[in-house]
Amino acid sequence: MDRPVIRAAAFSGLLAALPFEAAAHQMIVFASVNCEAVLVEAKFSNGNAVQQADVRVLDGDNRLQSTLPIQTDGTVSVPLDSVDHTGGLVIEVDTGSHDNYWIVTPEDIAKNCQS
Amino acid sequence: MIVLGATLAGAQDRAQVTTVNYPLQYFAQRLLGDGAQVTFPVPRDVDPSFWRPSIADISAVQAADLIVLNGAGFATWVDRVSLPRSKLLNTSAAIKDRFIVTESITHSHGDGGSHSHEGLASYLWLDPTLALAQTEALAAAIVARSLAPVEDVAAQLATLQADLEALDAAAQSALDHLTGVTLIATHPRYHYFARRYGLTVVSMEWEAGAMPNKAELAQLEALSRDTEATILLWEAEPPAAAFEATAALGLRNVVFPTLAHSVDGGTFLETYAGAVSALADVAPK
Repeated sequence: MDRPVIRAAAFSGLLAALPFEAAAHQMIVFASVNCEAVLVEAKFSNGNAVQQADVRVLDGDNRLQSTLPIQTDGTVSVPLDSVDHTGGLVIEVDTGSHDNYWIVTPEDIAKNCQS
Repeated sequence: MIVLGATLAGAQDRAQVTTVNYPLQYFAQRLLGDGAQVTFPVPRDVDPSFWRPSIADISAVQAADLIVLNGAGFATWVDRVSLPRSKLLNTSAAIKDRFIVTESITHSHGDGGSHSHEGLASYLWLDPTLALAQTEALAAAIVARSLAPVEDVAAQLATLQADLEALDAAAQSALDHLTGVTLIATHPRYHYFARRYGLTVVSMEWEAGAMPNKAELAQLEALSRDTEATILLWEAEPPAAAFEATAALGLRNVVFPTLAHSVDGGTFLETYAGAVSALADVAPK
């Protein structure tokens, strides 16, 4: 970087609603898939694992397939044979104060499950 | 039937490019012409910064030949899906040193103590010189992936950049007399625009194109009094009653579309130029 990042000092009046919007984005959700399961990981942006949250699994038509508690290490495994994944899956993680999601497409599943 | 089949085959043969906002769609289409299908999949009534795509939307994005990102934190959905790295282009990777950091946000998680996060202003294209840098990155990616002939892309890039430079020059000239004038914006979208043209913009968080409520009008009245601002920028045109209410506070209203979506009746360049003219017209001479 040649120059320092420039701060928006001129915009002192802009913050009314931004904290809520941005705060909701500070939990990071990631999901990887293999032939047997979707492994969901959730952590806060400071690196701490999410220890209490509901993990909702929705199908391609946005129908709830399953709700699971996250484990204390911030992960949970969703067996593929426990859900209808033909149209892909949406994984939602909700702590009550933070929520985020990850989308798994049918192509993601097929690509990682080539026999 | 034969004609339809040929048309579909032609569409399938064309390179598929998808973008996260309208300006990038416009730039990509200018560079690629009819040789590619350039899509911007976000519905018109959804803020592209915070769009939540469907699974089918992401399947379509994954199938594109080139996925054009804005960077600077724009389009949060891109961090919630698997996108093929070889197809991704971050058009602002080379201009990170020109990003504007917005204020810190402090909050806490349980017993973890409070901490803060900083955000980035992401409407880069409202500074045409940054848009110009994005077009360079886009052209390079198109050529690198052989989505169009090098000579064609170079010619289109030269024309597009000349247009952006002319837009910038026109804006500089038109807005020159606003230096030192404070503007109020209904939404914090104008960081790069303000910096480029030496404007002072203070922002609120009103819903785009909506009628402000009493509390919001009271906030505006106080802000106007404190800053002595007499111009109010709207991201989208609100109901006529909103204009009347703000005019009653002594403010002159200007609709300045931020162009994350296209605006009916004008291209990126036309809409931007029109908004600059409208702002210049209401500013005190």
